[in-house]
Amino acid sequence: MNIDLSRRSFLRLAGAGVAATSLGALGFGEAEAAELAHVRDFKLTATTETRNTCPYCSVACGIIIYARPDDTGKRRVVHIEGDADHPTNRGTLCPKGAALKDFVNAPTRLTQPMIRKPGAAAFEPIAWDDALDRIARAIKDDRDANFLATNEAGVPVNRWTTMGFLAASATTNETAWATYKVVRSMGVVGFDNQARV
Amino acid sequence: MTQDIPARPDMIGGVSTPPLAILPRPARLFAARADRFAHLAEGSRLAPYLRFMADLTRAQADLAGSLPPVAPLSPDRVALARASRMPPIDRHAVLDDPGLAATLDALIAAARAIAMPAPARLALDALADAAPEDRRWLVANVLDDAIPADSVAPHLFVAAAVQLHLARLAATLDSGDLVAIRTGVCPACGGKPAASVVTGVMGAEGARYAACAGCQTLWNEVRVKCLSCGSTKGIAFQSVDDGTEGAQIKAETCDACDTWVKQMDQHKNPSLDPIADDVASLGLDALMRGGRWRRGGFDPFLTGY
Repeated sequence: MNIDLSRRSFLRLAGAGVAATSLGALGFGEAEAAELAHVRDFKLTATTETRNTCPYCSVACGIIIYARPDDTGKRRVVHIEGDADHPTNRGTLCPKGAALKDFVNAPTRLTQPMIRKPGAAAFEPIAWDDALDRIARAIKDDRDANFLATNEAGVPVNRWTTMGFLAASATTNETAWATYKVVRSMGVVGFDNQARV
Repeated sequence: MTQDIPARPDMIGGVSTPPLAILPRPARLFAARADRFAHLAEGSRLAPYLRFMADLTRAQADLAGSLPPVAPLSPDRVALARASRMPPIDRHAVLDDPGLAATLDALIAAARAIAMPAPARLALDALADAAPEDRRWLVANVLDDAIPADSVAPHLFVAAAVQLHLARLAATLDSGDLVAIRTGVCPACGGKPAASVVTGVMGAEGARYAACAGCQTLWNEVRVKCLSCGSTKGIAFQSVDDGTEGAQIKAETCDACDTWVKQMDQHKNPSLDPIADDVASLGLDALMRGGRWRRGGFDPFLTGY
């Protein structure tokens, strides 16, 4: 808003000297005021766009997840699309990846550990601690029963072939490395870091 | 069948790498923008201003076809800029370019035929009679992407001439000679973006291009990334809530530097123009003024927001 003193004569001739918007300075203030009055009653709505990795397979396509608050104020995923900046997929997605929004918002989506007890017809919820305790017990029992330290010829093999382990494809390299070390060190040979499609 | 067709393995499966920059074709660009301004004016509360902008942009388009051709930059200059990761168009050199002075004269003459309110006419007349040092001051401000708040009107006409000249200069470049400089900096002229567009053009679907407010070059920028500071944290999009889900113009806000820049979904509506629709979506600017962010996009036709 500092008027340049050396420009005083020019600015006076140009009708300048007062801070104004482009529309105000050019004489379109009436149109501007009408537009401002019109938008006054509108509100802004915030959408977030978040980068992530498609969880389906080891191609690990980049995706952008759009989320917006619903009527209750809880943020909901409203759209998922391929990330055009991702070097792997450049914005493209396979049919499974393109349907990710329904996967996220599915009413049947697993949101807590569930157990189907022997003989039961349906799954029921179980606390995380109880679930992990049961899994650990089952793994330990199975390994104790089936771990092979040597083969028939007496050669050390240290393998455990009766359990398989499936980890996620959307993990980081570091997570995949740690998972590999933990699982392989127990002798598990049936191990993968993704669901093959 | 003797034509030599180069192999394009990146096109297999339709997954291609978007080009870094799309250089302007000035006559076509300004003509399309003038049409867009005229279309947006229909039924708009901002109609008088949009019609005026349509006429001014039409003058840019006409001059783009009728002015004598601009001299291309020297290959040495382009090579030096590329080697030092600088924009080839040197805005300091453009300031005293006689071609720009001639363009400004021609634009002032053409603008005189446009219907406009008295304050605009006063500014245009003052500009026509302005001393060379006053004109140089105006041009320098526009080339610095900084319009003084107290003299917006004369700068608007100068900005139209600078846009035209820089766009014609950029059109002489080869987009393959450009290199990415920094987030939010035009690789052709070093200018600021007016807005950004998510494009739907073949080979770059869904990629975001920042639209230079000066030379009108479109350059590729990673999405969900602040065009002012380059942060990828704390980015969100504000749009006018009109009850529908389909806002095509959103304000990309950055909580790291507290600025925002418009992003337009051209892949949903190819008619969107980064300058014309920026002006026409002034309502979004008005609502954004009430928030914590300040406008990061530079548009000499929307100064004050």
